[in-house]
This record gives sequence, C-alpha cells and structure tokens, in this order.
Amino acid sequence: MTILYDTQSLLERYLTKLVRNPTLLATNLVTPVIFLVLFSQLLTKFGEFIPSTPGGYLAYLTPGVILLNAMISAPLGGVSLANDLNSGFLSKMLLTQVRRPAILLGRLVTDMTMAVAQSIITIVAAVLMGVQFSTGVPGILLILLTVAFFELALSGIFLTVGIRTRKTETISALSGVLFFPLIFISSAMFPISFFPSWAQTISSYNPVSYASDVTRDLVVGALSFNSLASGYALIGVIAVLTFAATMFQFRKVVS
Amino acid sequence: MEDISFSVKEGEFFGFLGPNGAGKSTTIKVLTTLLRKTSGKVHVSGIDLDKSPGEIRKSVGVLSQETSLDVDLTGWENLHLQGRLQQMSGQVLDERVEELLKLVQLEDVAKKPTGRYSGGMRKRLDLACALIHKPKLLFLDEPTTGLDTQSRTAIWEYLEGLNKNEGITIFLTTQYLEEADRLCREVSVIDHGRLIASGTPSELKESTGGDTINLTLEDLSLRPKAREILRTVPGIVDVMDSDGGVTAYAKSAGQIIAGVITSLDRAGIHPTFLSISSPTLDDVFLRKTGRRIRADELSRRETEPFLM
Repeated sequence: MTILYDTQSLLERYLTKLVRNPTLLATNLVTPVIFLVLFSQLLTKFGEFIPSTPGGYLAYLTPGVILLNAMISAPLGGVSLANDLNSGFLSKMLLTQVRRPAILLGRLVTDMTMAVAQSIITIVAAVLMGVQFSTGVPGILLILLTVAFFELALSGIFLTVGIRTRKTETISALSGVLFFPLIFISSAMFPISFFPSWAQTISSYNPVSYASDVTRDLVVGALSFNSLASGYALIGVIAVLTFAATMFQFRKVVS
Repeated sequence: MEDISFSVKEGEFFGFLGPNGAGKSTTIKVLTTLLRKTSGKVHVSGIDLDKSPGEIRKSVGVLSQETSLDVDLTGWENLHLQGRLQQMSGQVLDERVEELLKLVQLEDVAKKPTGRYSGGMRKRLDLACALIHKPKLLFLDEPTTGLDTQSRTAIWEYLEGLNKNEGITIFLTTQYLEEADRLCREVSVIDHGRLIASGTPSELKESTGGDTINLTLEDLSLRPKAREILRTVPGIVDVMDSDGGVTAYAKSAGQIIAGVITSLDRAGIHPTFLSISSPTLDDVFLRKTGRRIRADELSRRETEPFLM
C-alpha cells in the first residue's frame, strides 16, 4: 500500500460527493459555456481592435475563460477541507493509518480533475463556435496540463485558508476579492495594450498573465519552447510554494 | 487533566465516569494520538505513545463523541472508505464490510446516503467504522449520549458482545451512571481533570457506606437541624446536604427508617418526600465532591418512595 492508494481512495470519495451533488456539478460544468458565449457575443467588436489575433475576440477569449473557470472552482477544495475540519471527519481520518499528505493530495487531484473537465467543455464549446486550435491535439493536451498546474497553485491557497480559518464564508469572500483583480488586471480577458499604464505594469507581474499567455500561444500561436518554458516555470514555482505552505499549515493542525 | 494515572488490563471493560467537562474527551484524544500531552508517559497496547503513534493507530479503534460520517456517501461507502484508509483492500475488505453491516443491523439501508439515517443508525455505522480493521482496543467517547433508549440498548448489546465474544478491550467514557454500572467491570470516576475514585462498580458503591435515605425539605433552612437529628439516629453513618434536602447513609436503611421518621417528627421536621435507595455511582460522586453528576440523572434512579 502506498500514498497513491490513499490518494486514490480520497479522490474517489470527493468525486462521489461531486456526483451526489448534481446542482454543483452541473453549475460547474455549464459555467464555462455561459462565460464563453456571454463575453464573446457582448464584445464581438473587440475583434476589430486585435487584427493580429486569428479567430477574432472569441479565439482571444478562449484561454481566458479556461483560466477563469479554473479560478472559480479552486476554492472548492478549501471549503471541503474546512467542512471536514468542522464536522470531525478530518479527525476521524487522522485516527486511521492514512498517510497524512494523501488527505491534501486527494483533494488537490480532485480540484485538478474538475478544472480539466471544465477546460475540455470550454474547448469543445469553442471548437463548435468556430475556434481553430492552431497547435492541434498536442497543443490541447498541453493546455490541459497548464490548467492542471494552474489549479494546483490556486487550490493550495484556499486549502491553506480553509485550514487556518475553518470558515467557508471566509473562503468565498476571499475568492471574490482575489479573483476579480487577478483575472481582469491580466492578459486573460483583454489585451494589455488597452489598459492604462499602471494596470499594464501590474498585469506584467500577474502570474495569471503568464498562464494565459502560455495558453493563448497554444490556441492561436505556435508551439514555442521559450514561451512555454517561462510560463511553466512560473506556474510550477507558485504551485510548489502554495503546496508547501498548505502542507506546513496542515502539519500544524495534524500534530 | 492533572496527575491522572491508571492502567487497563487486556480484555477489560473499563469506564471513565464523570460529568460534562470533567476531562474525559481530552483523555481519549491524548490516548488516541489526536492531542499532544504536555507531560507524562502513555503506553497503549504496550506501545509508547511518544515513540510510535502510528503503531497505536493500527491497533486501536476510536468512536468519537460527535458522530462523523460523510453524509453524501452511503453507509457501505463510508465503511468501505474507512477500511481503505486503514490500508485494507479487495475481498478481505468487502467481506469485513458485509460482516459489520450485519452486526450493526444496517444491511437494509447500506445503499442509502447516511444523511438520511437517524441518529441511532449513524452511531451504529460509526461504531462499525471504528471496528473495520479489527482493533484489539476500542475507545468509546460517550457512545450513547443523545441517543434514544432503544438505540442506547442496542449499542450496549453490541459492546457487551464485542468484549465477551471477541475479547476486545474496551475503554469507555460516560456521564451515565447506569451505563457504567451495566457495562463496566472497572470504573474510574473523574471530576475537574482529577481521579476521585477507582474500583469495580460494586466496590465503589459499598464504599459509600451502604444505602441512602433521601429527604426532600420544603424549607431548606431546616437542613442543619435535620442533619443534627439524623446523626443521633443509631445506624446512620453519615449525613450530607443534597439538592432539595439532605441525604443520610446507613448500612441497612430499611431497618432504621422507623427511627428516622419518629426522630424527625419529634423535632417538628416533616419532609415532603422521603426515599430509600441502594447506593448508585452517583452517590460515590456525591460523597467525594458534594455534587451530583447530573441533575437529570436523579429522575432515572431506581428509588422506593415513602410518602408521608
């Protein structure tokens, strides 16, 4: 028996819980389509300002929507952990022989699975609406990988908050405060060149910009090693940092 | 908890009796590796708690006070997950799950989400979870608190069976006297984090000096006078104030009750209610602390009332 067995056991638990909550599941899976249709239809004219992007604003927007959805489902893990802490289920798990990190890993893999599922739906919807993915199937697989890591980085933040505050309300409040600036002051939804200079500066440091630039290259550009490497390096560092922070907080709770 | 020291033998049914807030749950949390102790030595199943908490988790099962099940999962799924977390798998686990569902009589509802279970059903499933990996030692933190009489009796029967037939050592905390009295062969009474008495239930009860005579007085200012008179009655060993009146202790209360009534009558004290009872664990607690364990326990005590 290994840590993989424990992680798999808990992954199955969380996925079963998701399936047992059809409203949450449906909401999570339909949201990407709504965002994609809403923004692309309302802002069709944007395409005229970005003639360099093949496929117009819809193609520009697709990576943004993929990341936006990952951001929206990231707090779920923190909420679930806070609930387990409050209900005593976490204590019950800690009284078993389960390997401690698996409790977090199981939850993180669940959130990653959810984000990847949402991305697949977004991609299918985008293709149906006419977006041509320039890098084909290998590119799409790389997009899914990007999203998985992006989710890992974000999810860790909320797991940490969940462990520390034990309050689901705090997590939802924080997600709003954190997400709007992060997603809108980045290159995810709109080209940076439209922003005032202060916002351009912030955006150039915003990790979400790196993630969306990498993803966008895969949608409308070409497979370029340099842009992939820099994007992955940054997302990777953040993912490692947030996971380490989460483990650190968790160990304090566990002992 | 302060200065607590006790040992429980293998195969024992051991009870930790005390009122709310006495430190019972804290003790269990320390013993089962959930809480860190500030000082002292603990060995569970012969394993040093400081050296190998993981080994302890392998050999003990724990039923926490608050029932913790995943309400989205079915009874079968909860039990199965618990088994997997205890490193079981395959056919061995499947068979164990069926066996336990049968034991706690939840086979019929095994496929329903536990969110739809009643309190008693949840407790029974939680007990099954604690047993999944065949622990040698079972910790139960107030297993029947908040349950109806029927569920309580069912839990008692399972526990008696586990101890008798499978030789599982049981460590139980409770605030219910009848629970400790019925189940435990060895009892420690605690209050405010301190051990105040230990022994078998009958030893403890004998230590109170025999039967109790409970007097209810309408005018509580008569207490000192009543105490004084009762002390002069031959056969009475001790007198204490109790809620609503005074309590006297005597070896054989039935034989001296006439004398008690006459003496009180002569002094002009007319109790509104008088009862004789054989000693309970509550009397043990009362004699050591001057308080009852819980006021609502009084109504459930077996008494033989004498109306005057």
